[in-house]
Amino acid sequence: MNSASPARRLAVALLLIATFAFLPAAAAAHPHVWVTVRSTIGFAPDGKVVSVTHDWVFDEMYSSFATQGLAKPGELVTRDIFAPLARQNAGGLAEIGYFTTLKIGGKTAEFGPVKDGDYWMEERPDHLVAFHVDLRLKTPTAPGQYFSLLVADPEYFIDFEYDDNDPIALAAAPSGCSASIAKPKPLEGQDQQKLSESFFTNMAPGTNFGFKMASRVIVACP
Amino acid sequence: MIRFVFPRRAAPALFAACAALAAPPAFAQIAQRPFMVGGGEGGGGASGGLTGWLIEMQSQLTRLIAANLHALHGNPAAIWGLVGFGFAYGVFHAAGPGHGKAVIASYMMASDRALKRGIVLAFLAATLQGAVAVALVGVAALIFNATAMEMNAAANWLALASCSGVIAIGLWLTVTKGRALLSALRVRFAHRAALAAVPAYADAPWRPATGSGAAAAFRAGPPDGLGTAADDPAACGHLHAPDPATLEAGFSWRGAAATVLAAGSRPCSGAILVLVFALAQGLFAAGVAAVVAMSFGVALTTGALAFAAVFAKRLAMRMAAGDDSRIALAARGVEFIAALLVVAFGLALLLVAGRGA
Repeated sequence: MNSASPARRLAVALLLIATFAFLPAAAAAHPHVWVTVRSTIGFAPDGKVVSVTHDWVFDEMYSSFATQGLAKPGELVTRDIFAPLARQNAGGLAEIGYFTTLKIGGKTAEFGPVKDGDYWMEERPDHLVAFHVDLRLKTPTAPGQYFSLLVADPEYFIDFEYDDNDPIALAAAPSGCSASIAKPKPLEGQDQQKLSESFFTNMAPGTNFGFKMASRVIVACP
Repeated sequence: MIRFVFPRRAAPALFAACAALAAPPAFAQIAQRPFMVGGGEGGGGASGGLTGWLIEMQSQLTRLIAANLHALHGNPAAIWGLVGFGFAYGVFHAAGPGHGKAVIASYMMASDRALKRGIVLAFLAATLQGAVAVALVGVAALIFNATAMEMNAAANWLALASCSGVIAIGLWLTVTKGRALLSALRVRFAHRAALAAVPAYADAPWRPATGSGAAAAFRAGPPDGLGTAADDPAACGHLHAPDPATLEAGFSWRGAAATVLAAGSRPCSGAILVLVFALAQGLFAAGVAAVVAMSFGVALTTGALAFAAVFAKRLAMRMAAGDDSRIALAARGVEFIAALLVVAFGLALLLVAGRGA
């Protein structure tokens, strides 16, 4: 019974404590906001990728939160009325990477700052809130044979999902370019581990985590 | 001897520090996290395995809550679905980051061994959290017709108050437990030194039926804290259950109340969303019913965790069984680590609040 050293037994006991008390809690956090995404990738006349335009539609819970206190009953919240909240939301986009990862030729494209006029927010007739934003690449980039676009919240507070019917459009793309959606890969053990750690920090499970469960747009250009 | 005194004036100063650190990003118009909902909950999730299943459950439950709120317009019986799904949501949701469960569990580990009290604390914290959300939305949205931005700002202030409270409690526990750990260490060293002074027993398990010299002197020593139950000759050589007095680290309802207040004052984003949505549907009372059910669900999970924390501590004490000075040392060690954890959780909350997430 006393074969192990006291120090070792204490270590085991402490480990047990951590396991008992905290592992069940590592289970799950989940997104609070759901967004249906439609994106348009814009090309310049010379065939380079120049912009990504997003139209995001929010779920009815966030929609009622966002519209709360903004319009008279029976009226829709207009872009004008939404301007302050839209500005606040747009202003935070840069810091979180615009929720957008555009990878061309293995490099992540950089977007310029979002200015007034590049975005708007409005309540649709079905009472869902829509957010529109134009992101322009700092450097127009030739598409190469293929490139990918990912819309995701790295912290997974927001769940972005591509629209089933009309997820992606290519504007003025060179002829022959086509887009398709790739589903996320299943997570590996290491990712679950990260998620458990996220409990201990009370924060999101590290950068890039939300990306793993996002659908990816693949654009192929011949 | 070094005396640690936790200055009472530190609490407001701490709050100010919290606010100063967190305020610029949280309240600036520009740097706020896009599409946030007040309360400062981080996300975090996965799509595979058990975790993915739990997340899927919560997403489904959110939709079911929304659907039942809709259905309530024509079918009053939908309230049962609303309450039931709200409760289930609370159970699953409490397992996520935030919600003070980590704070409650660590506090329990640091300061108590009574299982029932842990459950009561968890219940109170969860109820308070629900009440804060109801009060926030009830006052801000229902009475003042506040906007999302205004509610976010209010929720941020509450989150800041919560974080400073948790940090203050953690520091207070760290100082108290650190002092207790030091004194347990002194007792332990004195104990070992006393044993080592008797060559015959130096390598043997401590089993001195009779003794002379330092060990005897130690056992016969004055009851000034050095000689406690370990010096009871009847206890010698036996592996006995920890003496409750060695484990009890001075539970105080004042400390517990402070913990409940700190852990529970941060409203939960999920509850705010449900309430505002219910309000938009003209069904605020039903939203309150759902949030009460959610609080019960959260209490169930946090209560289970508090229970597990206390149980794990008891188990650890049993595994560290030996003479009482060692058990006491283990107990104080566990408590000290738990106290540090409370500080860590408070700092983590501050970081989240600071990002305005």
